[in-house]
Amino acid sequence: MRLLGAELVESREILPGQWIQAFHAPHLANGSRAGQFVHVRTGDRSGLVLRRPYSINTADRASGTVTIHFRTIGRGTEWLTRLRPGDALDVLGPLGRPFEVDPRATHLLLVAGGLGMAGVRMLADEAIRDGRQVTLLFGASSASEVYPSNLLPDEVEYVVATDDGSLGHHGYVTELIAAYEAWADQSFACGPAPMLAALARLAATRRNRMGVAKLGRKRGAGRADPLGSPMARRKAFLQVSMEQNMGCAVGACLGCVVMGASGTPQRVCREGPVFAAEELDWEAGW
Amino acid sequence: MGGRLVKAEPKEHAHEALAERSIDLSVDLGRGLMLENPILVASGTFGFGVEYGEVVDIQRLGAIFSKGTTLRPRIGNVTPRVTETPGGMLNSIGLQNPGVDAVIERYAAQWARWRVPVIVNVAGESVADYVEVVSRLDGVPGVAGIELNISCPNVGKGGLQFAIDADAAASVTAAVRRATDLPLLVKLSPNVADVRPIAQAIADAGADALTAVNTLSGIAIAPSRQRPLLGNVYGGVSGPAIKPIALRIVYEVAQVVHVPVIAIGGVTELGDVLDFLAAGAVAVQAGTAIFADPALPVRLVDELEAECRARGLDSYRSLIGTALPTRAGPPSARGAEYRP
Repeated sequence: MRLLGAELVESREILPGQWIQAFHAPHLANGSRAGQFVHVRTGDRSGLVLRRPYSINTADRASGTVTIHFRTIGRGTEWLTRLRPGDALDVLGPLGRPFEVDPRATHLLLVAGGLGMAGVRMLADEAIRDGRQVTLLFGASSASEVYPSNLLPDEVEYVVATDDGSLGHHGYVTELIAAYEAWADQSFACGPAPMLAALARLAATRRNRMGVAKLGRKRGAGRADPLGSPMARRKAFLQVSMEQNMGCAVGACLGCVVMGASGTPQRVCREGPVFAAEELDWEAGW
Repeated sequence: MGGRLVKAEPKEHAHEALAERSIDLSVDLGRGLMLENPILVASGTFGFGVEYGEVVDIQRLGAIFSKGTTLRPRIGNVTPRVTETPGGMLNSIGLQNPGVDAVIERYAAQWARWRVPVIVNVAGESVADYVEVVSRLDGVPGVAGIELNISCPNVGKGGLQFAIDADAAASVTAAVRRATDLPLLVKLSPNVADVRPIAQAIADAGADALTAVNTLSGIAIAPSRQRPLLGNVYGGVSGPAIKPIALRIVYEVAQVVHVPVIAIGGVTELGDVLDFLAAGAVAVQAGTAIFADPALPVRLVDELEAECRARGLDSYRSLIGTALPTRAGPPSARGAEYRP
């Protein structure tokens, strides 16, 4: 975690109101893992007092660049779209804990809803690089909101669902899970809270429904890894990247919590943004 | 070389020597609590001091005020807990904290090794709560002082708002005063018609210093316009938006109490520090601005020192109270007239 200056290299509107911006920031490009995020200070100081958190969408070590992907929803994001190449951005990062992929997992199922694509996008790159097979299920409201396939690695199997049926499966992306969950060794998701909750319910009942063997030691062999540890997460079938209104992003203000399974609020910025699904209380309503 | 023998400096170097002389930024809060400088970080914005350690040199701060600490662990309020508002933010954390025993166990040993003093912010729902928490903190190495939060606006259920009543505020202050010899600061609420009688009652009850002010009660509406935005409905407004209110209260309180006043409310740049000093504060807490600008508090220390040097001051103390009415005497009874 470091305060650094990141220079805008490229800015493009990939979909109506959705932008991808590339910044030269070698410290981030070299030091980030999929799932981590940056906390960005906007230059609009006329009353905007908080930074904005963005998932690190991609990181390219060779060029020292990272990208973020956002939708223009207010003055902060609108200010970002007015940046020109060469302009510098005040960035705090990399922040949070990354996805933990089981070294033995060969089939990764990524699930993204809308802007949740930004949360799992970098994991696709890492997984392909490590020789894993990746299927990415993507849900959006309609075809005009669907992430362009040419922005994904060729190796990724890309399956789309739209609420209005204008492209791909007509319905929710969660309805596609059944066709892939037997194939997948692990799954990783980012998107709206109801989508993640539905996936968590599926993951919780998966072993019973499918009778699949658990990767790892036999039951009772050795001590269980503590909930939330990297080792425990590595063994989890489903990891989710959570969103929450955020203040400091370093764990000080306790603004960005989600309820943990143990009844203790978990900080999205520190314990997360990635959690194993079983670490969270999906019924808590917050 | 013998220490006693001091060689007279040639006159042409005298000016240079003055320029290099260190500026006295120290703050005496009483009971032996001396702060190295008057730039402090506010409770709730700096966790327990460890969170920002990777990003800034926290040892250069005048003091760190911890997250509000209660007798038992609290899980806090439902989310959303924070949102940006024009010129500020709303928060409704609901005093999430692991409880005083866990706070001592996890952090006190670290605090004891730090140069920067840590003042523990204490919250409770009853006088007995406050007294018990403070008794457990009393004598713990690493705990440099106590700041009583008697005005947290985010704890509705059962939480008596001691800060809106002079008698209640005085009784909790006096009870805590009896329980500890630690430096005792009490944080004032701005959510009252006239803070002066409350401030006086708290000072008379034995507080060593006052902090002014806590957040202002406010709400935001969800984008759907179907409900309030915060999970707890009510939150506290902080940031530059409340600075004029905080300034007014510091200005009023500094004229009626004889204990030091620590200002808080929208400190974002050196000009804000100088304003609060001029209004009668001896020190300031930065809070909300840290989220956007973590390096701000340490930078303010440097900037305040540079400011003093530029003005040819040996100490920042001559900046304090310069905007207060020069005529000593009782505060005007007409102060209420400008209030809506």
